[in-house]
Amino acid sequence: MHPSEEALTDYIDGALDAAARAEIERHLETCVACRRLVDDSREIKTVAASLDLREPPIRSWMRLERAIKLEARPAGRGAAFWDAARLGWARPQLAWLAAAAVILVATAVGFKLLPRGARPSAPAAGTQANAPIVSDAASADAAAQSVEAELRQAEDHYEKAIKGLEQIANAEQDVFDPRTAATLQKNLAVIDQAISESRAALRAEPANEPAQQSLLESFKAKMALLQDTVALINEMRKGNEAGAARIVSGLKQKGD
Amino acid sequence: MNAEAADADIIARTKAGDADAFEALYRRHAARIYTLACRMAGSADDGEDLLQEIFLQVYRKLGSFKGDAALGTWVYRLAVNHCLDYVRSRRAKMNKLTETLDADTSFEPHAPRETPIARLDLERAIERLPDGCREAFVLHDVEGFDHKEVAGLLEIAEGTSKSQVFKARAKLRGYLKK
Repeated sequence: MHPSEEALTDYIDGALDAAARAEIERHLETCVACRRLVDDSREIKTVAASLDLREPPIRSWMRLERAIKLEARPAGRGAAFWDAARLGWARPQLAWLAAAAVILVATAVGFKLLPRGARPSAPAAGTQANAPIVSDAASADAAAQSVEAELRQAEDHYEKAIKGLEQIANAEQDVFDPRTAATLQKNLAVIDQAISESRAALRAEPANEPAQQSLLESFKAKMALLQDTVALINEMRKGNEAGAARIVSGLKQKGD
Repeated sequence: MNAEAADADIIARTKAGDADAFEALYRRHAARIYTLACRMAGSADDGEDLLQEIFLQVYRKLGSFKGDAALGTWVYRLAVNHCLDYVRSRRAKMNKLTETLDADTSFEPHAPRETPIARLDLERAIERLPDGCREAFVLHDVEGFDHKEVAGLLEIAEGTSKSQVFKARAKLRGYLKK
């Protein structure tokens, strides 16, 4: 009989007293399955403790700064907080760029379709709390229509945000060297292809849940790429070579 | 300037409306918090959203920071609690059960590994773990909390924490062999 999960965990974590440890070791001498499980678990534990930190995307600070600026304003807290002159944004050509980018970023996050089984089954419009329960078929039909309406709304929202970001990126693309411009175009082409394929799948089958998710994920990826592009333009206009290099490196990794 | 004085300086300057001070605080801690959030949520997209929410909370609550612990410790605790709230709320919304946990955790012998586990492979495998055992694994094996602390954070019994970590390691082992 194998030791319990708790006992093996304690053994792997070195939390057993000598007697309990000896008992497990006697079992391990004869049980290949447990011995390999213990060896692999120890290796996983060791590697897990040495994982690297991840750097957040550069746009994260832009989003946060904008959110705090909006939050600080109504209460009048920290009147000088988040002065627009910071980060070189006072220069006219960059002020609109930064403002437009952060507004778009703030408006285009948060769309996620829940799996159908996880959706709350809201009563149909006009039904009373004590009205008879609608049939399963009617309920499923209403849910499907609700999902498609939700998807259309999300799609519309993403498209507006993406259009705005594209305008910014296109107007400022002269700052890019040919290689960076090619990387951006390549990444955009891959995402656009995914959007086209998801749309084609949805035209054939509007209720196709993987295609719905794929379309939203592709929009989200395009938003993220355009946000990185705008962040890159900002860093290059500011002359921040290190910041620009970090973003370009991230773009290249995504395109690999 | 020692760490305590540096913390006090950042807090005083932020409260006085010095945006550079809050940015300095963000830059100092963002990577650790972002990494934690990505791993707890199991996705970089959710990790990025969590990072923003956590630092908004830091900004809102900085006035209540008493200095009982280092500022970095306070930010980290706030981040852990926020990530746990997020995962709990997501699980409630998704009605996600952990019945699939029993898969891949049998005592059937696996062939021995031929190559060491690469960090990147483990990172990707952690993202695949089901909610529940992922949080226990990240808190215990990655972040270094002991089972008593994990149990307290997740509001579960200590034995359950051990069992969740066991299952997470077993599932990871299965993912990494495929």
